[in-house]
Amino acid sequence: MAEVRLSVLDPAGLHARPAAQFVRTASRFQSDIVLGIGDKAANAKSLVGILGLTIRPGAQVSLTADGPDADAALSALLDELGAAVERVDGTNP
Amino acid sequence: MVGLVLVSHSAGLAEGLREMVAQVAGDDVPVATAGGTDDGRLGTSAPRIAQAIRATLAAGADDVLVLVDLGSAVLSLELALDELEPADRSHVRVSDAPLVEGAVVAAVQASVGAGIDEVADAALGARAMVKAAG
Repeated sequence: MAEVRLSVLDPAGLHARPAAQFVRTASRFQSDIVLGIGDKAANAKSLVGILGLTIRPGAQVSLTADGPDADAALSALLDELGAAVERVDGTNP
Repeated sequence: MVGLVLVSHSAGLAEGLREMVAQVAGDDVPVATAGGTDDGRLGTSAPRIAQAIRATLAAGADDVLVLVDLGSAVLSLELALDELEPADRSHVRVSDAPLVEGAVVAAVQASVGAGIDEVADAALGARAMVKAAG
């Protein structure tokens, strides 16, 4: 299990297009990947789930991966998000 | 890969949605539209829907998910399905999802190689998406 905590920097929050790209990247991995915000969480491979979280600028989110390729998944997703987020805490990767 | 057919009473609406779907989900997912009537009025046309389904299959879609804007489009859609060859008809699924949300999430799901069951479920899941309070 790997987890990172992120702060959303993008002034637009997480919009449909980057959210879709995020889901596509997450879908390449076997691990279960969950995006959490507050007491809500969604499967990172589901666009309905991710858009349903309504992630606004400044939000603190957690990204958790559990499975054989968990570290690679988080690494790829962090690359994908790029400057849209900032790590505020993290254990691995 | 799963392809989509977007059925709307308005050709402009269907085309605009196709553009949006391609921007969000990429160009790999085959998407065809059937908007308006044969003579350019608002409405739906069974031959145009059948043609869009055939075009999507011809573009390489293994299965096709059809989304409609309003319930009355389903009358034309049923006529279109009757018009299809049984071999084509067996690869068509009709969705009760809301058109815009359903098309976007279905296309993203299709773009990662999901099968028709998963794509259809994703589209239906869009019914529960909350956009705004009120």
